[in-house]
Amino acid sequence: MKLTITFDRLRLEEKELVKEAAKAGCKTDLVDVRKLSLNITGKKISGFGDIVLQRCISYYRSLYLTWILENHGMRVINTAKVAQACGNKLLTSMLLAKAGVPTPKTYVALSSESVFETADKVGYPVVLKPFTGSWGRMVDIAKEPQTLNTIVEYREAMQSPIDHMYYVQEFVKRPPRDIRLIVAGDEIIASVYRNAPKDDWRTNVARGGTTTAFKLNKEIEEITLKAAEAVGGGLVGVDAMESKSGYLVHEVNNTVEFKGAQASTEHKIARKIVDYAVAEAKR
Amino acid sequence: MKAKCEECDADISVPDDAIVGEIVKCKECGSDYEVAEISKGQVRLKVAEVAEEDWGE
Repeated sequence: MKLTITFDRLRLEEKELVKEAAKAGCKTDLVDVRKLSLNITGKKISGFGDIVLQRCISYYRSLYLTWILENHGMRVINTAKVAQACGNKLLTSMLLAKAGVPTPKTYVALSSESVFETADKVGYPVVLKPFTGSWGRMVDIAKEPQTLNTIVEYREAMQSPIDHMYYVQEFVKRPPRDIRLIVAGDEIIASVYRNAPKDDWRTNVARGGTTTAFKLNKEIEEITLKAAEAVGGGLVGVDAMESKSGYLVHEVNNTVEFKGAQASTEHKIARKIVDYAVAEAKR
Repeated sequence: MKAKCEECDADISVPDDAIVGEIVKCKECGSDYEVAEISKGQVRLKVAEVAEEDWGE
């Protein structure tokens, strides 16, 4: 059994995966995708293992390489379908809602012309997120139309047409934390609170959020597994908030980082991921 | 292993078990470098990629 780990920035997570794979007796190779030159119209692409664990930090590199590998018959964790579903918040929100997973009310305005009307419908304060992106980057809160106007002015000044469309979500009143749940197949392999830093409302570990242990309960277990299934399953990071009406899932992450979660988890998350990949390869 | 920071000329200490692709930081100025090559106990660094809009999880 050979496991290929693809990367474009070698982080602690990838090093941990290599170490744990060795302990599990699994042959592993690390492939820096920036060095690949791939014949996409040829018959075969070689040099990859029985299963590929996609760990690229760049969403587009990750998605494009997964398309190529799947097209040539290789198995990738996660599939391109899951990568797309998680990598675009519009798709994620729609899939969660369609599957009956509780998720914040979300509207989309396809132009700045309709964004103010959209915000009125959602109700202030509103949260604006880029369709693609992570780590809380460019996630803004507008408590009233004046702030929204400023955000829209900045967005309209940006070059990419994708920035001129708006994903507008209700602001959910919650404690200054959310819950990160890592799912591998049908098992939740880690669950932690992500606590917002003092000077930010966002909880991302990349923005200085810290983790503490979270004890699973039946309600969140069911919601989490349903959310993972809604985007196509695999290895994903489900983010949930504690609202007055219960848990709400606001995001599902495709290339889940686990350095933060590991700090508040007793067992090795990397080992659980390796075990999952090996089991998938044998399936 | 030791290398020099291109920005501030400080010594950068690279762990002996480092692998190619790993990111190391200059403790003096905070610049990020990537381990480009390790050969005969010598390490070569290159400036690490800067975060793009699509980076994340």
